[in-house]
Amino acid sequence: MIPSLPPIRIAACGALTAFGDDTATLAALLAGRSALVHLPVHGSEGGDLVPLAVCAGRAYEETIPPSWIPYVRLLAERIPGDTAWGSPRHPVFVTSSNFGVGHLHAFRRHGNTAHLAYGTPFDCVDALVTTLGWGPNITTLSHACVSAHLGLLQASRVLAAGLADSALVFSFDFISPFVAGGFHALKILNADLPAPYQDRPTGSIALGDGAAFAVLTRDYGDYVLAAQSLHNEMHHFTANQADGSGFDACLADLPDTGRRVWLKGHGTGTLDAGRLEAVALARRFPGAPLVSWKGALGHTLGSCGLVELALAIAAMRAGRAPGTIGATAPGFTDAVAFSSFDLAAYDGAVCTSNAFGGAHAALLLHHA
Amino acid sequence: MLERWITALHTEDAGLETPAATRERLKERFPKNATRRMTQLGLLVGVALEPLRPEHNDAIIYASGYAETRALEGYLDSFPTPSPTLFQTSIHPCAVQQSLITHQRSIRQFMPLTGGDRLPAQALLTAFLAGTPRVILCGGEERGTWLLEYGRASDRTFAFALSLSATPVAGALARIELEFSDAPDSSDATLPLPAFFDCLHERRPIDMGILPGRRLRINWLQ
Repeated sequence: MIPSLPPIRIAACGALTAFGDDTATLAALLAGRSALVHLPVHGSEGGDLVPLAVCAGRAYEETIPPSWIPYVRLLAERIPGDTAWGSPRHPVFVTSSNFGVGHLHAFRRHGNTAHLAYGTPFDCVDALVTTLGWGPNITTLSHACVSAHLGLLQASRVLAAGLADSALVFSFDFISPFVAGGFHALKILNADLPAPYQDRPTGSIALGDGAAFAVLTRDYGDYVLAAQSLHNEMHHFTANQADGSGFDACLADLPDTGRRVWLKGHGTGTLDAGRLEAVALARRFPGAPLVSWKGALGHTLGSCGLVELALAIAAMRAGRAPGTIGATAPGFTDAVAFSSFDLAAYDGAVCTSNAFGGAHAALLLHHA
Repeated sequence: MLERWITALHTEDAGLETPAATRERLKERFPKNATRRMTQLGLLVGVALEPLRPEHNDAIIYASGYAETRALEGYLDSFPTPSPTLFQTSIHPCAVQQSLITHQRSIRQFMPLTGGDRLPAQALLTAFLAGTPRVILCGGEERGTWLLEYGRASDRTFAFALSLSATPVAGALARIELEFSDAPDSSDATLPLPAFFDCLHERRPIDMGILPGRRLRINWLQ
């Protein structure tokens, strides 16, 4: 078991998706809308149509200056207070899977050397830090689609050790031909949009822009990260243990609290992983309703753990959770909720994310 | 102040060695045919990790600024028919995964970090706070080709892995201290990953500010 942490409070959080901020996104999800549209995988260079959810007005192909900068600035303006983020007592934990690597693709295709300034993870984070005026106390974690959970965990540890008064976790991934091209090459993107948890001959996922922040503290904030767990199967790069033991191992480390939880699964739409996750969650939390939102938002990759945490909190504040949009019964288990549902009967949520290499992450969230 | 003890250390300084030469040199250290698809960094991190025999309850902290540069270069060059294998391999923590998947070793905590001049400072703090009896801190870089021409890749190839204990143990190689103060100090000193590697490889002591309000000391005990 991961050494236990004291409960960590979430003093503020927010998200940005192709629908807009977390308020707009929750409203869209509750209305059953999808942000996905069909775009050529290589952008202006064509290619197959693939399902993507790009922020309104943002260019899918990399631009100079980067098209994602105004969006992170907009999100960062919502971080409350005037805390000196990046100072010794207020560290920042940045997480992403792709950072600005799409700029290297743009450079290689078109030769504009201005793209190089954003291409490596630390060049990209430097640009972010400069844009947002943060200090140097920045930790950058990158573990594909569980990246945001690692940021939350490390920020929690720094707080628990008394090394910070508050910590900012900031996650982002903006899609580009670089990443869509990669997922398309893996043959898991297609324009038919088979939806998460729907039993079809082939699974598929969609991709979407996502960014989010959370301000963590020891002692104030309406919501609590009560437990966090990780597990890395190291069985195969793109497949999980066939018996679902990797999912089980991660969920087993969440404590039994007696809370009535609902479940925000990872649920990208890949069949094997979706089925294993749904079955493992049903085994660990019998009767708890399970939803995935990636059929509406697309998979926001390294940011998904924090984007969906912010949306889960927005749902808890609103008292209603969106269902699994774009899918219809039967689901992988009876627990899959296709319609939105009232949260009055629940006093906690479990949020999960999974990644290449059989990486799993989960957290238990409840009201303070 | 936090302190830990280095109980084992393995370094691989491949310098300007080509991936093919590294593969040939190290192929006997891996199961038959396992090295065929491994990256140079994956090979070196794997060789550095292997003597430590990572176990499920160890925490592994991984630090690399550029990670799988050759795979990334190859993936970028594969457009407009992008390579699925190179896409997968170019993902940041792949070097550690290559080794652990080869040996089918599950790990509960795997914390991959990236960054620039302050990467070792943040990786050390992550390792210090992992909370497991043994923590493995590993990292490295591989020399790039065309990305290096544009200053976006490492100019050398190296890897390291060390195990940390939270308690003093007989035979420990070194003591590491992280000292904290709330006041930002004026030190602009930084410790990039290659410099940190050199200190480990040559067992040179360190005593420097590595972030505002944070000081690192490494004293070698043998």
